[in-house]
Amino acid sequence: MTPVLDVSDLRVTFGGRVAAVRGASLQVAQGETHCVVGESGCGKSVTALAIMDLLARGASRSAAHLRFRGEELSAREIARLRGDRLAMIFQEPMTSLNPAYTIGSQMGEVLRRHRGAGRREALDRSAAMLARVGITAPELRLAQFPHQLSGGLRQRVMIAMALLCEPELLIADEPTTALDVTVQAQILRLLQALQREMGLAILLITHDLGVVARVAHRVSVMYAGEVVESAAVGDLFAAPAHPYTRGLLRCVPVPGETPRDHPLGSIPGTVPRLGPDFVGCGFRDRCAHAIPACAGVIPRQGDAHQFLCRLPPGWTETRAA
Amino acid sequence: MSAAIEIGDVRRVFTAGARTVRAVDGVSLSVAEGSVMGIVGESGCGKSTLARLILGLMAASSGEILVGGQNLAEMDRRARARLIQPVFQDPYSSLNPRRRIGGIIAQPLAAQGMRRGERAARVREMLAHVGLDPGMAERLPAQLSGGQRQRVAIARALILHPRIVVCDEPTSALDVSVQAQILNLLAELRRAFGLTLVFISHNLAVVEHVATEVAVMYLGRIVEQAPVADLFAAPLHPYTRALLASVLTPEPGLGVPDVGLGDTLPDPSDIPPGCRFHPRCPEAVARCRTEAPATRWSGARMVECHLADFTSSSPDKTAAAHPETA
Repeated sequence: MTPVLDVSDLRVTFGGRVAAVRGASLQVAQGETHCVVGESGCGKSVTALAIMDLLARGASRSAAHLRFRGEELSAREIARLRGDRLAMIFQEPMTSLNPAYTIGSQMGEVLRRHRGAGRREALDRSAAMLARVGITAPELRLAQFPHQLSGGLRQRVMIAMALLCEPELLIADEPTTALDVTVQAQILRLLQALQREMGLAILLITHDLGVVARVAHRVSVMYAGEVVESAAVGDLFAAPAHPYTRGLLRCVPVPGETPRDHPLGSIPGTVPRLGPDFVGCGFRDRCAHAIPACAGVIPRQGDAHQFLCRLPPGWTETRAA
Repeated sequence: MSAAIEIGDVRRVFTAGARTVRAVDGVSLSVAEGSVMGIVGESGCGKSTLARLILGLMAASSGEILVGGQNLAEMDRRARARLIQPVFQDPYSSLNPRRRIGGIIAQPLAAQGMRRGERAARVREMLAHVGLDPGMAERLPAQLSGGQRQRVAIARALILHPRIVVCDEPTSALDVSVQAQILNLLAELRRAFGLTLVFISHNLAVVEHVATEVAVMYLGRIVEQAPVADLFAAPLHPYTRALLASVLTPEPGLGVPDVGLGDTLPDPSDIPPGCRFHPRCPEAVARCRTEAPATRWSGARMVECHLADFTSSSPDKTAAAHPETA
């Protein structure tokens, strides 16, 4: 089946000096959640913004292809579909909602613009969507301003607003990072329920491996602008292949499993900023397995479970982990 | 073991117009010398206000706080600084952007009246302790990564060799790989300096890893307290159970749990009567709506819940519920 989103060799540079995304490829199928996971500066948010053509001035973007339901998307088409069949939600709902307008007027604008709805109809459909995302007393909420809502409610409003036009693809950039853990669980369950109902394809950007494990069908791990590993969620956690993925998994304490009196695994150093001419593995300066060949061209190995490393699949740690 | 911190029925009230917020609403807590007291709870539960009270950065509305056996309210600022120090969440806003790292770390020494010449040697020594190059002393905060800045904040906190460090979400702004580095560093320094830590975090997995004892806060009160292994193995309060259930461990196939707390969010300016958790509690009965639960202790465990039963979750024979609530 044709994936809903098919991106190949996406590249983004800022001012020609910093390469934020260096050839990322990913697909999202209908009804599927594809998580892009990585640390700050790895290019995951820039990837999301580039797909939506929302990059800041000074950024330049290229891709071998960027297809939506098999059709190549031009910038003009992205602008037309954005907020309609392509929707996006962000981390901080307080900064994504306009503080000077009521919830009702902001939601109504979406329907008036994309569906040509009248005022009354826009309000009715907005109220229905708020109810659908689990907000009680939706009519009351429509008359309120963003600051009158809690963080969890605001994120529900953002989700409702994104879903108003029944999109086929939802890009969610750290949608629960600013929320308390109990609210995070509620919001993630809501997204899963809506996905089942509407067959949504979701591209979820996160730094949280716990979130990835619990909601993803497929995972892409990004590091220094590249997808260094991509696999079905079960395969990735059962048999991580890239040294960075393995290192990242060792950093996360798991109650009941990680021994309490031992240091956690950690990755020395920090994420590098690479220029567009950088060649070789972006992780090599922090990698315990790096050899001179890592400065050359790195093979992408595997098919359903891909990784970008010279090490053979199923390699074992040579030093005590 | 003596107590490094002893808090007795401390309250802190904020007023804004007609609104009264009881941010800390009768907290009693004893932190043993050499322990790591983890304090967990959702935003607005009062955990950061409690940290500020313990640090003496804010005065309590009522109640008493003893730090190192002395009454915090009567202590001289400089004496307090030698005893207890903070590490805050955001290493971007807690370091003066216009001062060099060396000056930032030496500031507490300068405030204590130490001469410039002596300070430099102490700063070099402390930089090594927190895993930073001596050359870092000449840099500005903007030239450092988030993890390096948090190391600087830790160095500044330890330069006076305090006995107690209060860490308020010390790794929440950091990436996971950097978080692991900082947690390992804190564990190492705790051993090296014999520190007592108060470790405030919303991340229960992190608290499980670093704390020896955990206090769970809800709307200004500690609703459960226990040694870390007991709390995670057998949580007694329904709120603790919900918090633990909502921890998303990196285990695929388990899905997202239904935490079962409903949509009523806690509001510290409108604390419900009876048990303050009852509007969200999946187990609440009629009594919970009218009668505030008493603080019950059994051994090292404490809980404030009418329904909690020490015997059901603890194999310990001495763990029997207090008669007044039976």
